[in-house]
Parts: sequence; structure tokens; C-alpha cells
Amino acid sequence: MKPFFALLRKHVHDTRGTLILSAAALFGLGWLFVFVTSLNETEILKVLSSETEDNRFRWLRNMGLEEQPPSVSIMMSFWSHPLIISIIAIWAIARGSIAVGAEVERGTLDLILSRPVSRTSYLLTHVLMAIFGLFFLALALAVGARIGAHYNFLRVPIEFWTLAKPALNLAALGLPIYGYTLLVSAVDYVRWRATMIGSVLTLAGFIAWVVSVIPVLQKYTWRVYLERVSIFKLYNPVDDVSTGESLLFNLAVLAGIGAGCILLSFLAFIRRDLPANG
Amino acid sequence: MRSTAVLATRELTKAYGDFLALRQFSLEVRQGKVFGLLGPNGSGKTTTLRLLLGLLHPTSGQATIFGLDCWRQSLQVRRLVSYLPGELRMYDSMSGLALLRFLSDLREGDGLDRAVALAEQVMQLNLRKKVRAYSTGMKQKLALALAFSDPVDVLILDEPTSALDPSARGDVLRLVREARSLGQTVIFSGHVLSEVEAVSDRVAILRRGRLMHIEDMHARRSLRMLLIKFAGKGPAEFPAELELTVRERSDQTLLLEHRGQIGPLLHWLDTMPILDLAIGTEDLHSLYDRFHGPDAIDEETVMSS
Repeated sequence: MKPFFALLRKHVHDTRGTLILSAAALFGLGWLFVFVTSLNETEILKVLSSETEDNRFRWLRNMGLEEQPPSVSIMMSFWSHPLIISIIAIWAIARGSIAVGAEVERGTLDLILSRPVSRTSYLLTHVLMAIFGLFFLALALAVGARIGAHYNFLRVPIEFWTLAKPALNLAALGLPIYGYTLLVSAVDYVRWRATMIGSVLTLAGFIAWVVSVIPVLQKYTWRVYLERVSIFKLYNPVDDVSTGESLLFNLAVLAGIGAGCILLSFLAFIRRDLPANG
Repeated sequence: MRSTAVLATRELTKAYGDFLALRQFSLEVRQGKVFGLLGPNGSGKTTTLRLLLGLLHPTSGQATIFGLDCWRQSLQVRRLVSYLPGELRMYDSMSGLALLRFLSDLREGDGLDRAVALAEQVMQLNLRKKVRAYSTGMKQKLALALAFSDPVDVLILDEPTSALDPSARGDVLRLVREARSLGQTVIFSGHVLSEVEAVSDRVAILRRGRLMHIEDMHARRSLRMLLIKFAGKGPAEFPAELELTVRERSDQTLLLEHRGQIGPLLHWLDTMPILDLAIGTEDLHSLYDRFHGPDAIDEETVMSS
């Protein structure tokens, strides 16, 4: 087990800076979105308290709401912000592309795989580190939000376990992104191609999802296909904290796609040739 | 007593599409021997070594180390083998000591103390410095310290002296001899013929992925070259017990190889009508040039002979 833990230790050492900075950014964003939610709610309360019951109802209808939403739902609408998704996607793409392609490109894979380390162990340490990072980053966002909720006024107090569901959904969103990037990396000789393909697929999925939710495009039939091909449809933090009906299904599909790609990566990596660098 | 074959390849072939990087390569290396691999870039040396380590999948044929299949039982093979890559790349952000410790941990931590001692005392490296601050030669020394410290039976060294200064080259050759004396088997690939000649027990010469020739260096060291000018035409045949081979022949002059006892040869020379005679040795370079020099032997001719 010593080689396995030596590799894990190295991955932690190599990524700790990026991971801590990314986690700090998400922690700050979590806190910031609570602060913004608190300001919004204060404004809404100010408006609603100055209106009659009829006007209050009309005002809410104009906002597209039946009743004033719970604080956590307002806050969760910010959790789909591109900044949050970008941090998760960057981590997933970076870790996926470095696992094999980058190591072959810089020639350091020889150093490791000429020692008695199986290819399966080697890749497994990378996968474990990447998955740990995804959950750690999602946790940082949830912790930031919970601590932010402690220091800011919210109409409805937020429990940490309520935040755990969308955080889990966010971490799961990173799995397919990591998976398909790793798959490209596992069969390639360079890092840039895995990074590029991972980024293009992620961006395309995100654009497809954004286009599919534009209200004026709802009448077009092709919109449904755009929605179906995007993994971002499966990340729905507002739903996670309200009904939560689709959470398990979303988690299962995201984890399934991720696991499938990771499994294919293993199969490809243990069979492939590792030629000399340069 | 003959030592057992540690490493064996049978018809080992590696193809990349239509390109054959290694063709039907068969050899055996016995325990406690130093085996040299010679050939220009692209001749298949590194491909052979990577096939032995299970880094490449053979297209056909098989390579075994201690009877273990180098591809299917690669992990077990790598427990017995230490490898120095030809194009050495390291994790630059680590210190020399951290890198030694990390790579040693990948072998359950065995050999770290010896690697540190070798790196500091023999290779004169400052292990507290980051690897990025090391020159290419220093990185090579660090990798060599590790390779020679690994508790393994087989050392595979791909151009181990390529980036080293002359004194460090001497250290490496000394370490190779030391490894042999400890019973380790060494596969030594290189371009500096004098170094390969100095330490190898046997040498294989490769060309375009094909094994052209295997030379027993002990026999070669007893080789004499005779340039004889006869009075008249030289003899067409020689007594078999003299172990003479004709290398070149012109009207009166013959260039002969002699690997046998000196006494019978001198006696035979005394009986012949000789006008002039020169006796010398032949270095590995001359042999190498037969396959890679300007007048190189055509491989198809050699293979069919």
C-alpha cells in the first residue's frame, strides 16, 4: 500500500494550492450569495410591509411568484452562477487532463510506471484525488453559505443539511466533466487536446442548457433536444432545496456518466502503449 | 558453470502501423552479465527496453524476465527491474531528497538510504536543492543513484552516461561493474562505443529495428587482426585448428581474424612465404562500422547468410 499512498500524497501536494484557492473562492461566493439574498429579502420585506394585502399579492404575481419564496430558494438561484460552475469545471478538466496526457507529454510517467506500480493503482489515485476535490469544493461553497447565513439576516433560517443537497448535486455535476476529460487524456500523448475537448464539451453543454431555458424559444421543438443533451439540466439547486424530487435521479445520471467514462479510461489506459516522450 | 538466462526475447516485434520499430528480436541474457545494446537513433534500442518494462505492448513475440511475461506480468517484472530512462524528465518542484523518497516509496521504501548516500557521497549532489535547480547532468546522477540503489536483479540503463562529465562517466562504469559483481544483470544501451566495450560481456548491434549481430566481448578481447602480404598469391584455405577467418582478400594481401591460440599461429606463419606482416587488435568501432559505417553490410544479405 505504500506506493499507493505515496502517489496520493504527491497528488495532494501538487494540487493543494489550487484546491485551497478554489475552495476559498467558493467559500467567499457562498457567503456573498447569502449577503445578496439577505439584501434582496430586506428590500422585498420593505416593499411588502408598505402595501395592502391585494397590492402585496399583485406585486408577487408581477414577480412571477405565488408567495414569497423561502430564503434558501432565492439563494439557490445564485448557485447556478457561471462562476460557481466554472470553478468546478476547471478543477474537473484540469485533473482529468493531467492524469495521463500531461504526464506522458512531460515524460514523468516513465518515472512512476517503471517502478512496481500498476497502471490501475496509478489512475485510481488520480481519480480519488479528483473526486475528493469536487466534494471538497462543493463543501466549501455550502460551508461559506452556512457561515454567511449565521452573520446575515434571512427571513427563513438555513440548516446546513439543506445546503448539502445542492452541494452534492454540484459535486456530481463535476463527475461527467472529469470523466470525459480523463477518457481523452487516457488515450492521448498531450495535455492540450484533453483540455480542449473537455472545455469544448463542457461549454457546448452549458450553452445548450442556457439556450434551452430562454423563454422566447420555448415554442420550438428542437429546444427539448438541447435540454436533453446537456448535463447542466441535471444540476438544479433550487429544485434540490424545494421539492428535491429529481435530486436522486440527477445524481444517479451524473454519477453514471462519470463512472462510465472513468471505467472506459481505465480500460483504455491499461491496454495502451506508453512510448518514450519527446 | 553457465549462469541461467534472466532475460529472454523470442521473435519480439513492435509495429506502429506499417512501420516496424523492432523486428523478430530474439536474444538471451544470463544472470550477472552486462549486455550492451548498440545502434543509432531509431534502431530499436529504446523500443526493446520499453517492451521489457511492459510500457509497450508487443505486436508479436514475447519478452520474459525470470520467466515472467513482460507485458502480462509487468508489475511483477518491475519489482525485479530498475530502469533509467534515456530522456530523463523529473518533477522539478521537488527537492532531490523528496524525489528520491517519493520514487523509493513506490518500491516500498527500499533502497532509500543507499540512494541518498550514493547521491551525496559519490555523485556529490546537494539533495536539499530543488530538482529544477539541477543541471541535466545532475538530474542524470540523481536518477543513477536511485537506479543503482534499488534492490533489484536487473538494471536497465538507457544511455546512462549521455549527460555526464568524464569523471561521472567513470563512476557509472565502476557502478556497472560493481552491480555485475553483486550478481545483478545489466542492460546497457549507449552510443559511446568505448564505454559499452569497457563494461559489456556481450553486445548486440541493432539496425532499423533488426538484430544484426551479437558479439561476445570476451572473445573479442582475444581477437587478433593479421594483415599479411604473401610472396605470390595467398593460400585459399587455412588449417582449421588455427581458427582463422578471412575478412578481406586482394592479390597478395589478406586481412585475417584470429581467435585461437597464438603458438600454432606463429608456427604456421613461420612456414609460409610472407613478405610483410602486421598484427593488431580491433576495437568495437570497427565492428560497429560493419553495420553502420559508410560501407555497412546490407542487412538483408546478413539475414539471409
